[in-house]
Amino acid sequence: MIFGLEFPPIENLVEWPNWFGPKDSFYGFNKIAFISLVAIVATSVLFILGNRKRSMVPKGAQNLVESSVAFIRDGIVLETMGPDGMRYLPYLVSLFFFILIGNIFEVIPFFHMPANARMAGPAVLALITWAYYIAVGLKHQGPKYFINAIAPPGVPKALYILVVPIEFLSTFIVRPFSLAVRLFANMLAGHILLVTFSVLCITLFTASLLALVLPLSFFMLVALTGFEVMVAFLQAYIFTILAAVYIGSSMHAEH
Amino acid sequence: MLALVNVFAEAATTDLNQAVAEATAKNPILPVVNEMFWTLVFFAILWALMKFVLLPPVMRTFKERADKVRDDQQAAEAADTARVDRLEQYEAGLAGARSEAVKLIEQARAEGDAERRVQVGAAEADVASLRTEAAAEIAGAKERARGELTSSITDIAVGAAEAVVQKSIDRSAQVSVVEDYVAQAGKN
Repeated sequence: MIFGLEFPPIENLVEWPNWFGPKDSFYGFNKIAFISLVAIVATSVLFILGNRKRSMVPKGAQNLVESSVAFIRDGIVLETMGPDGMRYLPYLVSLFFFILIGNIFEVIPFFHMPANARMAGPAVLALITWAYYIAVGLKHQGPKYFINAIAPPGVPKALYILVVPIEFLSTFIVRPFSLAVRLFANMLAGHILLVTFSVLCITLFTASLLALVLPLSFFMLVALTGFEVMVAFLQAYIFTILAAVYIGSSMHAEH
Repeated sequence: MLALVNVFAEAATTDLNQAVAEATAKNPILPVVNEMFWTLVFFAILWALMKFVLLPPVMRTFKERADKVRDDQQAAEAADTARVDRLEQYEAGLAGARSEAVKLIEQARAEGDAERRVQVGAAEADVASLRTEAAAEIAGAKERARGELTSSITDIAVGAAEAVVQKSIDRSAQVSVVEDYVAQAGKN
C-alpha cells in the first residue's frame, strides 16, 4: 500500500506459473515460454505469407517482410560489417524478430507482458551472441583472436598493462552482461510503468475528488503504451546492431 | 572435536544453501531455468528456420529484383545507344538529302538557264525572221506603192502635158523621167 494505492508485489508482475510441467522443472511451460513460441510462429507466418506470392513490386506481407529484412541488411549488417557480414544476416534477422515480437507483447491485450522483462530471454540471447562472436573470431582469426581481442595491435606496449584487463573485461564479461541487462531493464521498467499507471487509473476511478486526476493518469497510460511500442522496436534494434558490431569486430583483428 | 566441527560446517553449508535458494527463489530479477530452456529452444528453431526456410526466398527475390533492375537498366542503355545511333543515321541521311536537294536545285537551275537561253535564242531567231519578213514585206509594199505612184504620176503628168501641148505625148518615153523623179523624191 503506497499513498493509498494497492500496488501488486513485483513478483506478481513478472512471475508466471507453469501451464504444464512440474513447478521447478527445466521444461515448465509458462506464459513467457508461450510468448517465445508465438514469436517464432508469428515470424514464420509473416515470412510464409510474404514469400507466398513473390512479385517484383512487393505489397502487403511481402512488402513488410522485405522492408524488415532490407532494414536489417542495409541499416545493420552492411553498415557495421560490410558485404562480408551478409552470411550472418539469418542470425541477426532471427534475433531482431524474436526480440521485437517478445517485446511487443507488452502492449497486446490479455498478454501485457514482454517476454524480455524476464532475465531469462535476454540472458540466453546475450550468451548465444557472446558464443557466436567468439566462434566468428576463432573462425576468422584462429586462436590469435583471443590475443587480438585483449591486446589490440598498434597499441603502445606500455599501455598493454591497462588495455589488456580493460579489453578482457569489456569483450568477454561486460558485453554479454550489458546486452542482457539493457534489454531486460528497459522492458521491465516499461512494464512496471504501464502497470503503475493502470493501477493508478483503477484506483482513481472513484466517486471522490481524486477522479479529477484520472484523465491525466489515463492520458499517461495511453501515451506510455505508444512509447512502449517505440521502446520495443528500439530495444530490438539496439540488441541486433550491438550483436552485429560485436560479430563484425571479431571478423578482423584491426577492429 | 572433529565431529563437532563437521556438524557446524554441515549446518553452515545447509544454512548457506537455504539462504541462496531462498534469495534465488524470491528474486524476480534472476533468470529461471525453464524460461531459459524454452528461449534457447525456440530461438534455435527460429534461427534454423530463418537460415534454411524463411530467409532464402526473400534473398532470392532481392537478387531477382536486382538482376531485373540491372537488366532493364542495360536494356534502357542499349535502347538509348540505338536511339542515338538512329538519330545520327537520320541526321546523316537528312544532311545527304539536303545536299542532294541542293544539287538537284543547282542542276534544275542550270537546266532552266540552258532552257531559257535556248528559248530566248529561238524567240530572238523568230523575231529576227519575222522582222526580216516584215522588212521584205514593207519593201515589197513600198515598191508596189512606188510603182503605183509612178504610174499614177506618169498618167497625171502625161495627161497634164498633153492638155498643155494639145497633142499626144509618148507615155513610155516619159515613164523613165517620172521614175527618176520619184526615186529622187523618195531619197529626199
